[in-house]
Amino acid sequence: MYCFTEVLYHGKNHLISCNSAEKIMFSQHNPLFSVDGSLSSRSQEFLCIFLCACTSIICCSSDCHCVTFFLNLHQHSFYYFFYCLQENRQFGSKMTDSKYFTTTKKGEIFELKAELNSDKKEKKKEAVKKVIASMTVGKDVSALFPDVVNCMQTDNLELKKLVYLYLMNYAKSQPDMAIMAVNTFVKDCEDPNPLIRALAVRTMGCIRVDKITEYLCEPLRKCLKDEDPYVRKTAAVCVAKLHDINAQLVEDQGFLDTLKDLISDSNPMVVANAVAALSEIAESHPNSNLMDLNPQTMNKLLTALNECTEWGQIFILDCLANYTPRDDRESQSICERVTPRLSHANSAVVLSAVKVLMKFMEMLPKDLDYYGTLLKKLAPPLVTLLSAEPELQYVALRNINLIVQRRPEILKHEMKVFYVKYNDPIYVKLEKLDIMIRLASQANIAQVLAELKEYATEVDVDFVRKAVRAIGRCAIKVEQSAERCVSTLLDLIQTKVNYVVQEAIVVIKDIFRKYPNKYESVIATLCENLDSLDEPEARAAMIWIVGEYAERIDNADELLESFLEGFHDESTQVQLQLLTAIVKLFLKKPTETQELVQQVLSLATQDSDNPDLRDRGYIYWRLLSTDPVAAKEVVLAEKPLISEETDLIEPTLLEELICHIGTLASVYHKPPSAFVEGNHGVQHKGLPGSAGSAESESPDAVSAGAATEAPAAVIPSQGDLLGDLLNLDLTPPATTGPLPHSGGMQMGAMDLLGGGLDSLLGGDLGGSPAMGAGFGAPPAAMPPAFSAPVSGSLYDLFDLDNGVGMPLGSFCPPKTVWLPAMKAKGLEISGTFVRHAGVIQMEMTITNKAMSVMTGFAIQFNRNSFGLAPAGPIQVPSPLSPNQNIEVSLPLNTVGPVMKMEPLNNLQVAFKNNIDVFYFSCQYPISVLFAEDGKMERQVFLATWKDIPNENESQFQIKDCHLNSDAASNKLQSINIFTIAERTVDGQDMLYQSMKLTNGIWALAELKVQAGNPNYTVSLKCRAPEVSQCVFQSYEAVLKN
Amino acid sequence: MMTMISQLFILSSKGDHLIYKDFRGEAGNDVINVFYEKVTALPGDQPPVVMSHRDLHFVHVRQGGLYWVATTTSAGSSPFTIIDFLNRLAALVTDYCGSLSEKSVQMNFALIYELLDEVVDYGYIQTTSSDVLKNFIQTEAVSSRPFSLFDLSNVGLFGAETQQSKVAPSSAATRPIQSSRDQGVFVDVIERLSVIIGSNGAVMKADVEGEIKVKCYMLNCSEMRIGLNEEFSIGRSTLRGYGAAVHVDECRFHQAVKLDEFDDHRILKLCPSQGEQTVMQYQLSDNLPSPPPFRLFPTIERDNRGRLLIYMKLRCDLPPKSAAINVSVSVPVPKGCVSLSQELSSPEQRCELKPQSRSLVWTVPRCSGGTQLSAVFKLDVPGLSSASMLEVGPVGLTFELPKLTSTGLQIRFLRLTPVQPGPSQRWVRYVTHSDSYIIRV
Repeated sequence: MYCFTEVLYHGKNHLISCNSAEKIMFSQHNPLFSVDGSLSSRSQEFLCIFLCACTSIICCSSDCHCVTFFLNLHQHSFYYFFYCLQENRQFGSKMTDSKYFTTTKKGEIFELKAELNSDKKEKKKEAVKKVIASMTVGKDVSALFPDVVNCMQTDNLELKKLVYLYLMNYAKSQPDMAIMAVNTFVKDCEDPNPLIRALAVRTMGCIRVDKITEYLCEPLRKCLKDEDPYVRKTAAVCVAKLHDINAQLVEDQGFLDTLKDLISDSNPMVVANAVAALSEIAESHPNSNLMDLNPQTMNKLLTALNECTEWGQIFILDCLANYTPRDDRESQSICERVTPRLSHANSAVVLSAVKVLMKFMEMLPKDLDYYGTLLKKLAPPLVTLLSAEPELQYVALRNINLIVQRRPEILKHEMKVFYVKYNDPIYVKLEKLDIMIRLASQANIAQVLAELKEYATEVDVDFVRKAVRAIGRCAIKVEQSAERCVSTLLDLIQTKVNYVVQEAIVVIKDIFRKYPNKYESVIATLCENLDSLDEPEARAAMIWIVGEYAERIDNADELLESFLEGFHDESTQVQLQLLTAIVKLFLKKPTETQELVQQVLSLATQDSDNPDLRDRGYIYWRLLSTDPVAAKEVVLAEKPLISEETDLIEPTLLEELICHIGTLASVYHKPPSAFVEGNHGVQHKGLPGSAGSAESESPDAVSAGAATEAPAAVIPSQGDLLGDLLNLDLTPPATTGPLPHSGGMQMGAMDLLGGGLDSLLGGDLGGSPAMGAGFGAPPAAMPPAFSAPVSGSLYDLFDLDNGVGMPLGSFCPPKTVWLPAMKAKGLEISGTFVRHAGVIQMEMTITNKAMSVMTGFAIQFNRNSFGLAPAGPIQVPSPLSPNQNIEVSLPLNTVGPVMKMEPLNNLQVAFKNNIDVFYFSCQYPISVLFAEDGKMERQVFLATWKDIPNENESQFQIKDCHLNSDAASNKLQSINIFTIAERTVDGQDMLYQSMKLTNGIWALAELKVQAGNPNYTVSLKCRAPEVSQCVFQSYEAVLKN
Repeated sequence: MMTMISQLFILSSKGDHLIYKDFRGEAGNDVINVFYEKVTALPGDQPPVVMSHRDLHFVHVRQGGLYWVATTTSAGSSPFTIIDFLNRLAALVTDYCGSLSEKSVQMNFALIYELLDEVVDYGYIQTTSSDVLKNFIQTEAVSSRPFSLFDLSNVGLFGAETQQSKVAPSSAATRPIQSSRDQGVFVDVIERLSVIIGSNGAVMKADVEGEIKVKCYMLNCSEMRIGLNEEFSIGRSTLRGYGAAVHVDECRFHQAVKLDEFDDHRILKLCPSQGEQTVMQYQLSDNLPSPPPFRLFPTIERDNRGRLLIYMKLRCDLPPKSAAINVSVSVPVPKGCVSLSQELSSPEQRCELKPQSRSLVWTVPRCSGGTQLSAVFKLDVPGLSSASMLEVGPVGLTFELPKLTSTGLQIRFLRLTPVQPGPSQRWVRYVTHSDSYIIRV
């Protein structure tokens, strides 16, 4: 059997194909084949080589481009081997068997191609079916496009439908080919059979190819006015399809108006589709007046509602929900006409009707009889929704959850339908439980509790937990039931089932929060179960209870201590709670628990990496060390009661969700904007306000109110303390009373006053505006110990050998030579700065070391950091003779131009005389800028110290200073560094000092003086940390003087 | 804001693509695999109903072991509508293909595509009524029922094609949707009973959800009249006479049902479309006309060897001529229960300990009305404490009550117009299933 009939030779490429083929197969055990003699010798040669190669591993020679060949195996049917390489370099030598077998699909396509072109109708149909089957499983059969399109012109409707199905799928990828189909479409749109007309217009709309749309317009126009309603309803949908492809075209062609006319069509199916199409188009044009819902159209819709198919009713109801009635009478009449839908068998219709009614009910005055009737009518359909499949039940329950929150009165008597069935899926059970709590009231609480108690003994752990939690929520919601709830919970704790006990403890904590000092008797029972708690939430709850009622639990310290052993293994939640609880305990029983509190504070602050924990630890530490009385007020403050319904959906969101009943939003309980990107133009919906009701508050106001309240609500639940700390009453300590803490603690406390609270307040307080320009740069790291004067100065600033008297006790640094004679043609200037009675003086000694008389002195300053400038011209009374010197005092002010200098206190001076102009720079001690009103109020000091971020703090050591703290304080006072407070801890004097620069910058300092230790420590905090260095220099200068 | 289905696909339980149809061109078919990954990775406590992937939301149901999935991108789409629709679609496919399985869907994919084309257009649901659809559908169903000799009667001589199968498409509307099905009408009254009986024996809740289903395979049946009990009453306020009547709280009807004779004569009139439809749904809570079918009297105690003893008396309160079948009593047992020995009153009863669900299951194949069964279960529970006694939780019962309705609803008569010639095949069946029957101990 020879089957090679045709060999094409294209340059170096061989194409061998054949005319008949049955099955694809290749076997290396059947190497028996013969080659058609009609092959050219070159092709034969190639083929032999190739096939030999194939039997081992498929590896083709480089000149093989495309090969198709057939093998014949004895007299069996034909086996063919179809092999196609399009780019041989892609395959190289890596061809494997699997690759080979996948390529056989080409053969399948080839085969299908032949069948599609068959003359037999049945065969054609079968072939198209095969094509569609391949399409479904994801094979690419787009190569058959022309062949399938060829089958389109047929009078067999079944075949036509199949071809159209194919077209819809592939037209987009073959837009040019799709044009081929247009003629048939246009012809089909005029077919006498309405089924074919509808089919053509439906398919045409699904071919999302721009080029086709223009051909679509005419047929569509005809079909929209077709005599057959089936065609009209299909055409109505087609307008929406076309609009999606080319909106402008639809508008230009006037299809929208035709669509609007269809709302009045005699056939309800057409009306429903027209409504659906218009609604969708209107959604993409939020401002258009497309769905112009007026009473007339409403009337039409409501009429069509009664006759439509169930799915059409849903479209119409969804559309009705967008309408805003003019008044309550219209609202009532719509409700009356929608109400019969509530008894429809299709539960989706029921739910859509509920949505419309829920919305329009808002308009009805509550005292209206009809309002009550309507409420009664709503309950049964909602209940029947629960008889559906679990999936539907779940969606229904999510919706009922919303409805119950909005109008609990509808279902208040229907508690029983929400009882959990044992065969409900867990997600239905949990949802039912949630609704039961929402419906719980004094009237039915006994029933509910009995149910919940039963649930708590079930097998499903998640459900049991939720049930226990639900009991707690009942206690909080219905005050009268609290006692029963607590005793129920105690019963459950007796079961000793681990997760039940833990869950119960968590909810009992909440009950304590709601009813403080009422149920402490149960604490003993709780404490018995301490060992079985292994979940963080339960441990934290238990610790909270122990801390809160520490004074009534005899062994509270032991209990808490037992937790402390594994402190670092606990979760953060437990650690934080433990810290707070122990501090509470300490404040309540200070005598026995000092060690414990120190232990926990050091664990929290020193050994923990958790910033929250550390900060909280520092805050307590500082608080306790500063003022135990205040600490007591803060930590043991009365806590706000927790609210009844913590999990209610926020009212504005609820209103929006009510408008979206039945939709995805109602299942997610999120507004559509939260899960849909805006391409469909999501509109926020609100319920219409009822006339004269109190719900006129704007949504914005509500949400704003909620936002401001939020932090206050959050903080107490975190750890009661922080909230109170924020409005801390900063009463200064009356005494520097005995504090049971070590010195190390002081250090810690010092460090954190800036840190913890700053991170809490989080505000970037920045420098004062005046300094903004000059001190914009971030603070450079300060050297820990400062010794030599800042580089750049020519001479030692503080030459102690140059003794100069201090005027009137105020500190005056010794004069230094600013301008040596040899550099200024015999003029020598030495000087210093002094502040006296609020006036900054530049004290200079001008010496004439030249050989001639000097006259015409003048002085000018360059712009400098603090705007120092001469207050007047320099007064030199007479010409200066050689070897004569004169003392000049130049008053300065600080209103000159400002420019940041390096170093900060650098001052560049130009000095002129009759000989020349000389330039020199000098540095002034920053203390001359310390204003006399630099004494800060204590509270302000404390607050400011906290305000200033920690990184602005710098510490310096002053060595070899033998003053006691009082002397130091006095000395510092002379340069306007004021001591605000003083404390002695462990023989260390802590001086808290403040100073204010002339430009309004405050610097705060803490000076540590220890008796017998000549080294002082200064910690400086300033919003402009650049000045710290200079301030320190002043400290050192004045103290060492 | 309305329901728009973007894509619809049917997957086998293994994730094979059986049917895929894109209605709106909003997403590619790669989402099928995304869906399958999501649904198989879903933890048990998560509601599987709606899942989202980027902008796309999947809604699915499982029917016949297949995943029926619809996707939507519109926030206004109602999952409720879509689920309902998917269930209807599955029912429709069952009606057309005879059964619902991977095989039948595969064999009839062309038919299903054709159905989908008519049922949904551009994502808008058009109709699910087989009455309407039969006018449009051209493809014939391929039956995937197992081969039986019975089928040979339909086949011509030795497999030759009969004239019947070459019916021209124009006659589609008069053809039965399933050619091979025997003609007949089935009216099923199915009730589901959910009951909670408290530990004190008081009935805390007793609900019945019922439905009347009609399966019709008659060719030329233009009207069907179903007569219910004449004393049937609806709603709490409309109790007639002394209230002894058959009574339900709430009632819903298929929209094809005409109710003009319902008020006076309790007759439902309908033109049945071929296939299955739920004609009426109703429900009743709390006021059952008869006592609940089962009561249980358990005693739980510890014997001196530390074993847990559960004595159970199960009383069947049905009328003497009725019986419950496939009764299964499931009793939660304490954690750590290792073995069970039992004394049962008859050999066909069984009892089994199921450690994974922490329960013992006592099955009784048949239990006649008025009888009382007793059983003793001895459980070995290491470390039995008084607390673990409390773990013996509520007992759940499942059973079937054939030929019985809990509400007492009866079909008085079933008349077809025009009068069917030949032996009529009209079947009326009643059954009550336990939905959730719980007895607390």
